[in-house]
Amino acid sequence: MAEASTGAGTADESRWVGVGRSDDDAARVAGAQATEQALVGDDPKLLIVFSAHRYDPVELAAGVTQTAPGVPMIGCSTRGELAPDGPRDGTVVVTAIGGAGFSVSTAADEPASGRQREAGAAVARCADDVPDLPHKVLMLLTDGYTRSQEEILRGAYGVVGGGVPLFGGAAGAMESAKSYQLHGDRVLHDGVVAATIASAATIAIGVNHGWRNVGDAMMVTRSDSSRVYMLDREPALDRYLRQLNAPPEVYHDPEKFSRWSMTRPLGVQRRSGVAAKNISRDVDFEGRSIGGGTEIVQGALVWATEGDAESILDATDVACQSAMDGLGGRPPIGLLTLSCVGSRAVLGDEGIQQEVARITRRAKGAPFAGFYTLGEIARTRGVEGFHNQTLVVLALS
Amino acid sequence: MNGGSFDLAAQQLVELLELVSSFSDEASAAQGAVERAAQVLEAEVAAVVLGGQVVYSVGFPAGAIPFEDLVEVTTGKRDTLEVPRLGLCSVATAELDGTGHGHLVLARLGDDGFSAAEWNLLRGMSRILDLSLQMLRTMDSLRQRQRLMEHLYDIQRSISRRMPLIEVLETVVRGVKDLLGDHLVGLWLPDPDSPATLLLICSAGLDGDRAAQLWRMSAAEAGAAGRAILTDELSVAYGYASAGAALREMTQSRLAVTMAAPVRESTKVTGSLFTSCTRVGRMYTEIDQEILLAFAENVSLALTDAKTVSDMNEAFHDSLTGLASRALFLERLSEGLIVAEREGTRLALLFIDLDRFKQVNDTFGHATGDLLLMEVANRIVAALRGGDVAARFGGDEFAVILQSVTSGQTDAVVRRIIDSVGREYHIGGEDMSVGASIGVTLSVTGEPLQTEELIRRADIAMYQAKRNGRGRAETFEPGMDMGQAQTPVNVDLRRAAEELVRRATA
Repeated sequence: MAEASTGAGTADESRWVGVGRSDDDAARVAGAQATEQALVGDDPKLLIVFSAHRYDPVELAAGVTQTAPGVPMIGCSTRGELAPDGPRDGTVVVTAIGGAGFSVSTAADEPASGRQREAGAAVARCADDVPDLPHKVLMLLTDGYTRSQEEILRGAYGVVGGGVPLFGGAAGAMESAKSYQLHGDRVLHDGVVAATIASAATIAIGVNHGWRNVGDAMMVTRSDSSRVYMLDREPALDRYLRQLNAPPEVYHDPEKFSRWSMTRPLGVQRRSGVAAKNISRDVDFEGRSIGGGTEIVQGALVWATEGDAESILDATDVACQSAMDGLGGRPPIGLLTLSCVGSRAVLGDEGIQQEVARITRRAKGAPFAGFYTLGEIARTRGVEGFHNQTLVVLALS
Repeated sequence: MNGGSFDLAAQQLVELLELVSSFSDEASAAQGAVERAAQVLEAEVAAVVLGGQVVYSVGFPAGAIPFEDLVEVTTGKRDTLEVPRLGLCSVATAELDGTGHGHLVLARLGDDGFSAAEWNLLRGMSRILDLSLQMLRTMDSLRQRQRLMEHLYDIQRSISRRMPLIEVLETVVRGVKDLLGDHLVGLWLPDPDSPATLLLICSAGLDGDRAAQLWRMSAAEAGAAGRAILTDELSVAYGYASAGAALREMTQSRLAVTMAAPVRESTKVTGSLFTSCTRVGRMYTEIDQEILLAFAENVSLALTDAKTVSDMNEAFHDSLTGLASRALFLERLSEGLIVAEREGTRLALLFIDLDRFKQVNDTFGHATGDLLLMEVANRIVAALRGGDVAARFGGDEFAVILQSVTSGQTDAVVRRIIDSVGREYHIGGEDMSVGASIGVTLSVTGEPLQTEELIRRADIAMYQAKRNGRGRAETFEPGMDMGQAQTPVNVDLRRAAEELVRRATA
């Protein structure tokens, strides 16, 4: 969506990106195999690990770091891993970034809960540890079960300022409501891990979601942090369902509501567009309120939205293309593509294959890696950058 | 248009008030407020400057905050800020307390600057912040704050739902009366026909007969309300200082004290919001003053928003008939085709060309021709179903979208239009008549069509109708090609020629 930063650099210095994957059942072996595949060039600077939660993180980290000793590493558990050979579950995907044109520093902090802003600020300080190359991005991986993720970003923004874009995602897990983050040999829970990537060449970010507004805007007339009690002075759940002409069965059945609302996030109006907020996970049928784990402030103007596989796939194209456009004509050498688990639910098994096919087409032969997240991070303009049910793309050149 | 920034202005103020109210100390309230201001205006830099010191800032790398530059922004010496790695940013700043002691500062990448509506919003935010800080210092403010919230919600809702402007303004006036408890509250705005004169646009608390009267007076005679306009600041007047006879007459010479705050449209001060009390000894506290200023900012937001809406209407609607403009129509057509494809329904596009309009214009003149076009537009709209869209494409050409229709329903609408447009008109004492030749085309389920193709087909069908005898409709069929109708080049040339003749003879 926007270029990471401006300025001419020694763009002819070598840079490369490699992606490897393994589905070996032994965590250490899987980590080592994927890392080995990813190391396609000399002078590796950073390893980024997206792994299924089934892997023991200590063993996995050992497999990765022993294969590339001394190379900084960050990573996290996922709700599904994306790579050029398709979307899969139960695998580990490693991205390696290297070459003289890149410079990298990493950091980690925990716990984030209760001190989100502080944790965000602490990891962001690693941005000072890299040389002042023309292009820079701060990548953050957080625990998707930590509340108030926006505060982590605000903490990071307070340190790096408007000149460094933020990118990343919130970790999840298929099998449990726990995630982990990795920083070298260290395993964190409720943590934040970060990598500053500085480059001689352009870095760009694309963001898009596939949800359309339905009907008139509604106002949040009572909310408390992430829980919305009233919309237009009516119980929020009923107002939202009525706006979407919902079928009777979703009014009282949590499971049916969750499935149905997964494809109908609440859209919060912002200056440059509508930000999607997932409300499928935290409904209160007795109190008739809705919630989703991210901030929806009282007084906000919101929309009921809906989407389908086609609109999400179209958004995938737009996000990828805007990241590519941000490279200003330079060919991409690699992409990171973080997509929401909510979008995955809408797309279904066939749809996620198409999603990867679309990314492949837009990537123009560049390798890419990503995962299904519990929240996406992309700050390019303004001070905000935490998203739901959105695709965020980082393109390196 | 839903994404337009400034239908949201009032909402942002309420959000901000909520946010600031949630803090228990002034420093974090100020920090929260300035961050929220940056969030809603998508600014990269936000800062609070108090007494020449930067007490909080975000957007610069830690350790690289340009303190002097930020202070210079608040004194007007500087209107841009350089953010490392980002570039040159435009700035906007607003006084926190009306004394010049404190300022909010925002900066956003790019040299296009902040719009007038955004400046208004920032000023409103400063006002809300100051009000909230005052409330934080006041022990018994909780109930008052809740009542203030209720009123701001009402205003917010009325603006965001595009209620008529007068209703928004009445909501503001009622809110001030309820919160401050004075006898008379009102809003003066300039008379559109005589801008030097103020009109009492709405009020609460005037006696029956007086409430029914339209009050007007010059700013110089309007007491505190006039002074607020002339000085662009909050004004308090005891008795009838700076007042003329008309104000005495309006208020039956009973006022003890009046407080007034200026209101703006875009950036210009145009009127004032006042509250008056008949009780001698009534003193306005700092909170009373802040409340009035906050409501006055809401009036400014509503006026600026209404101006934006009216500008947008001009851009999207034909100024003569009020129908959709060509641009808006094409947007609706494109959306309609997507909906039809998704829902498996059909969409009909009608091209309507008036028969004999040129003769009417030639015989009765263009003024009559314009009146006739307005009446034709009314008749076309009356023949449509709810949700159908009509546009004037220029000259005597109209177009209509019928969403989710069968061919039978389309025929019925087309017949109604032909009958209705073909009935006699009585304009300016003259009787006249025109007819409608209509080209019809329907989208085909499972055959995605581009808007251009649909328009081409409707155009061809319309010329076929003309050729076949006027005052009739033809539906596009695949065999009905350019050979039978005119080519698009000829069509354009004919239209261009007609337009030239029309202009030359206007």
